[in-house]
Amino acid sequence: MKGKIARLAALAVGVLVVGALTATVAGARSSHSAVNFKNGGTLTIGLSEEPDALDPTLARTFVGRMVFESMCEKLYDLDSHLNIVPQLAAAMPQVSKDKLTYTIKLRKGVKFNDGTPFNAAAMKESLERDLTFKGSVRASEISPIKTIDAPNASTIVLHLSQPYSPLVSQLADRAGMAMSPKALASEGANFAQNPVCVGPFMYKDRVAGDHITLVRSPYYYAKSKVHLDSIVWKIMTDPSSRTAAMRAGDIQVEDRIQSTDVPTLRKDSSVNLVKAVTIGYQGITFNVGNKNGVGKPYSNVGTPLARSQDIRTAFDLALDRTTINKVVFGGLNAPDCYPLAPVSPWYKPTTSGLQCNLHANDAIASKLVKASGIANPTVNLLLGGTDPVTARLGQVIQAMEKNVGITVNVKPTEFTTSLNEATAGQFDAYAVGWSGRVDPDGNIYGFVATPGTLNYSGYSNPKLDYILNGARKSLSTKSRDTLYRAAMTIIHRQRPLIYLYHPVYYFGVSKKVAGVQIYGDGLIRAQFAGYTQ
Amino acid sequence: MSYVDTTAVTISPRARRWRLLRRRFLRRPLAVVGLVVAATFIVAAILAPVVAPYSAGETNFNAILLHSSSHHLLGTDELGRDVFSRIVWGARASIEAGVFSTLLAMAVAVPIGVVAGYYRGWTDTVIARLTDVLLAFPFLIVAVGLAAILGPSLTNATIALGIGAAPALIRIARGEALALREEDYVRAAVANGASDLRIISRHVVPNMLSTLIVQGTVLIPTAIIGEAVLSFLGLGVQPPTPSWGVMLSDAQSYLIQAPRLAIYPGIAVFLCSLSFNLLGDGLRDVLDPKTTR
Amino acid sequence: MGGFLLRKAGAALIVVFCSSVVVFAGVRALPGDPAIALSGENRDPAVLAAIRQKYGLDKPLPEQYLKWIWHALHGDLGVDQRDLPVAHTIIARIPITLELAVLAVLLGSVIGIVAGIVAAVRRGKAADHSATTFALVGLSLPHFWLGLMMIVVFAVDLHWLPAGGYVSFGSNPLGNLEHMLMPAIVLGTGLSAVLMRQMRSAMLTSLGADYVRTARAKGLPEWLVVGKHALRNSLITVTTVIGLQLGVLISGAVITEEIFVIPGFGHLTLDAIDQRDYTLLQGVILVVAAGYVLINLLVDVVYSLLNPRIRVQGSST
Repeated sequence: MKGKIARLAALAVGVLVVGALTATVAGARSSHSAVNFKNGGTLTIGLSEEPDALDPTLARTFVGRMVFESMCEKLYDLDSHLNIVPQLAAAMPQVSKDKLTYTIKLRKGVKFNDGTPFNAAAMKESLERDLTFKGSVRASEISPIKTIDAPNASTIVLHLSQPYSPLVSQLADRAGMAMSPKALASEGANFAQNPVCVGPFMYKDRVAGDHITLVRSPYYYAKSKVHLDSIVWKIMTDPSSRTAAMRAGDIQVEDRIQSTDVPTLRKDSSVNLVKAVTIGYQGITFNVGNKNGVGKPYSNVGTPLARSQDIRTAFDLALDRTTINKVVFGGLNAPDCYPLAPVSPWYKPTTSGLQCNLHANDAIASKLVKASGIANPTVNLLLGGTDPVTARLGQVIQAMEKNVGITVNVKPTEFTTSLNEATAGQFDAYAVGWSGRVDPDGNIYGFVATPGTLNYSGYSNPKLDYILNGARKSLSTKSRDTLYRAAMTIIHRQRPLIYLYHPVYYFGVSKKVAGVQIYGDGLIRAQFAGYTQ
Repeated sequence: MSYVDTTAVTISPRARRWRLLRRRFLRRPLAVVGLVVAATFIVAAILAPVVAPYSAGETNFNAILLHSSSHHLLGTDELGRDVFSRIVWGARASIEAGVFSTLLAMAVAVPIGVVAGYYRGWTDTVIARLTDVLLAFPFLIVAVGLAAILGPSLTNATIALGIGAAPALIRIARGEALALREEDYVRAAVANGASDLRIISRHVVPNMLSTLIVQGTVLIPTAIIGEAVLSFLGLGVQPPTPSWGVMLSDAQSYLIQAPRLAIYPGIAVFLCSLSFNLLGDGLRDVLDPKTTR
Repeated sequence: MGGFLLRKAGAALIVVFCSSVVVFAGVRALPGDPAIALSGENRDPAVLAAIRQKYGLDKPLPEQYLKWIWHALHGDLGVDQRDLPVAHTIIARIPITLELAVLAVLLGSVIGIVAGIVAAVRRGKAADHSATTFALVGLSLPHFWLGLMMIVVFAVDLHWLPAGGYVSFGSNPLGNLEHMLMPAIVLGTGLSAVLMRQMRSAMLTSLGADYVRTARAKGLPEWLVVGKHALRNSLITVTTVIGLQLGVLISGAVITEEIFVIPGFGHLTLDAIDQRDYTLLQGVILVVAAGYVLINLLVDVVYSLLNPRIRVQGSST
């Protein structure tokens, strides 16, 4: 803890930093021009979860994407308004009239972090690895890509088997990351033990469950934007300890502060709070048709929720989203009824005219329960976690449903086990969230389309399938708006899922640091940050 | 006229021994305190519906995190539930886990240990090695693993704690049986041709009783703390059923705003386990022929 | 002596082998398909099948076991879910838990032994009563609660010590001790309580023995009488108690590391169970079991050196 004098001296810079960093709705703004960065230093970031394998083809964790932000650039990236902008590509892709060919020009003069050149051949190799590597988690994300050509060193051409509008957004995520062919040749399946990409920072070492160290790369093409010597991502899964470390100055950035600590950190004069309203959601999935597992034929499972749309509606109306937010999250999240978030440009056009109940309507809900004809309906609510916050949520839902005559049995389950049970259809209702994707297809298709791989609900509606497939193939924003609005109307009425809120993440950034960006995707972007004191 | 001590004539040796033990026990104030406090917890646990002013899961979202008041003896928690009531209801989980897991451990360990110690030879070697294997795993890891395999619930936590405590108890029972086997009256019974079962049930086990009782009173507080740990890790009692461990786990997020939420259940665990420890110490002294008081 | 050691070592080896089977079976018994955990948000059946193949989950169990144990004997414990070598992780994190355990044992031993001696020498007086009371409190206190309370008081309120985390001794010796102080106290409390009681009881027994009375009658100074016996008793007692309490110590380390966020392998074990990281879990528990058996072996050897009767009689356990 520094003394008062140091704090006073930093006030001037602090004002600038506060102004630059404290976001209101859609995340942080860039602050390079106004701030004086010092060269050097190590930034320690306290992460709330541990990244999995640092291999873009296999990676599947949200926090892994944060680490990749500083060490693995991709064809495209997001800007602060969640628009897709070129990163390793030189420009947005040229799409053929039949929407089956994408020509992408690549940035020139780029090197991998082992000194080898980044070119079309390398990008082609990375994409092909994503498509064909055994166990690749990326394959289904870019499956419509049939073949890839590299006509010259700075151009790649993607040939698709069918139109696919989410493609570019996928290339703005792990599927678009470039891996060094030299590293792939020497490490092969063990790429994660020594990953080499294009990035402002490069991998140095990692201790499982403890930390990941990245150091400044001498090969990066925009070295002047980099100020730090190294970034240490520390794994600190316990939220209370994370906050304690932030307050003590052991870490300079804190990932996702727990709601009960936000008021304390607000008062802390050494910490800036950065708020990010995310594009993810938290909701409750109802098991409607998942009898034998996701992917097997669906048929109504016969529970009160599955049989009666009235019970599902009643369940929804009994929940007071505002009170849930207040009691469980200290009022910090954004209650809502839809999978797309207000920060997304798709939100307004696709939800206009739909009714969202932020407050409970016990009268109507009780009536619906009686009208359903089912006496004493009971719901087994599967919770995806055994942590206190999830437990609170479960108990609040249980208490609210009691008011309208629905008995809820809460089943806190470890997240991994809950995924298994949900996939197998062993639940009535499942409280689970989704980290969110920029393209609306990413927040909807997998969950309610019949072939959706995350369709725990077992919901199968041919009309909805038709609409969602059409929306995937269309490249016109206007027609996609109309189609997704039609999809929302169906989902909202039939309620295979209900949505409770969009997580609002609060991050802590030390006042000595500037340039840490956090957009609506919730990822910490620290690569161009630096110390100002 | 000779004076006849009528009491000596009418009281059986068993009753006399009982009286002696009771007198020795009452001479130890700490042990008595332990007994009284432990009994209080047990009674509170059994009579929870009567003793607790509120039901365990009664939420009130407009009354969260209140301080002590006339309505709420120890205030309310993060969901508006009465803390005092939850501590009383929580006693159920702790006492149940503590007592039943100990009984389970005994029921499993004593027969196995006695068989090993009595029969010796190959039976003993196999059982001793297997026990060593089980002892190689730290008690908590075994309990956590079992609870993870069986699924989180109070019953499974109780089972996990009981099985976790069994190996050490097997060793003790085995040791006792080994020693008792050499006693004269046992040898005499063997020479007389009495069946093994008869010998074990009439001579071996009854003479282990005092050791077992003392071990039991040592195991119970360990199991109570063990249940709190498992619930703290999310592997024991499931909400809305309260348990002191769950209350401690929930309180972690509120350590800065409302540390009292962590203090009260912690004191409950401490007092409960302390009382059983005092009781156990007292019993050990009382039943030990070497102590004179 | 040689024969005794050989027998003990042989038994230890058998125990470790059986433990490996138990570990393997126990880990496989955890509910939940690890392939689904490893595939994250992706449920593509082709992906799941490929993951199963990659980790050998599609082979029959005995084959999986043999493959694992064969590699383990060569020092290769496989890779975990992050594609990082398990052996690496264990080597990196074991010293941290060892440091915690050693500090806890040191603290606990010093406090326990001294308290026990004082209590025995000053039997019946105030010092005895307070020491006995503290021991009782130490036994009954749930140490994870003690940890939470210490964090509230010393870290949050007084800012004297850090609330958790770890810095390596090499990079910052003072910081390292600062971070380890509260966890060591929390972990060592139980041990000091048990030691104190054992020590007191052992001292009382030996101080009442005939040869001591003779020594006193001869006029030997009190401190010599107490000192000699204290020394011998403490070595035997400490050895026995540590051997018995080792399992408890490791269990305590698990929860202490959890609360103080120390990256030792107790914390690693809990995380691995949570994430169904089979390979990591198997490797860690095997190492723990093997270490436990090894330390017990050492304790037995030391005990027999101190107490020759054991050697002659053979094993009593």
